[in-house]
Amino acid sequence: MHDGDLHLRALTYGSFVELGRAPTATEIAETSGRSVADVEHGWQRLHDAHALVLNSATAEIRMANPFSAVPTAYRVRADDRWWYGNCAWDAFGICAALHADGVIHASCPDCGEPLTVEIRDEHPDDDGLLFHCLVPAARWWDDIVFT
Amino acid sequence: MNLFRSEEHIENWLGGRKPGATIPVAKLSELAHAWWGDRLPPSWQPHTREQNQAILDRLGLTDEFWQLP
Repeated sequence: MHDGDLHLRALTYGSFVELGRAPTATEIAETSGRSVADVEHGWQRLHDAHALVLNSATAEIRMANPFSAVPTAYRVRADDRWWYGNCAWDAFGICAALHADGVIHASCPDCGEPLTVEIRDEHPDDDGLLFHCLVPAARWWDDIVFT
Repeated sequence: MNLFRSEEHIENWLGGRKPGATIPVAKLSELAHAWWGDRLPPSWQPHTREQNQAILDRLGLTDEFWQLP
């Protein structure tokens, strides 16, 4: 990954956290002085390198892992904002990336009962919950949205 | 990659599918902080496969399920 793409990635992640949502290619183009096409091509290279995930239909950002650009079943309150995690791992990852305490709101996929986990100093307050990962690590990126 | 109330709820949800891997939520938090904690600084560099595998290994996630490609 060359320096230009690393810079583009840093701008994109920085904007995501500043805005509380995924930036558009136009917004990053204005910030960076690049053309929209340059930003979109750079995002595609970052997608191919698994540094972010684009929406396959629109080329907009779908995931700036661990952040999700679209609503999911994993809502996170951290750093005085609401975020969405792509999955349970990423929900915890949002607190990790922000270096912030937080609260994760989800529901049990089996019974639908609401689950709330508070993260304080990197530790969850409910040790009884379990994390299940269905897809083996070797196949995570075969279909990252499903994973 | 989901959170569940208990093993029983995981089994119900799987409905006969082959299970993946289950870890306690405290281990998940450790994993998430090791995996994602460096993502926002502008100096971020992509993790190599070896770096990511080392995170999993350090947390005891060493069986075949957790082997990265």
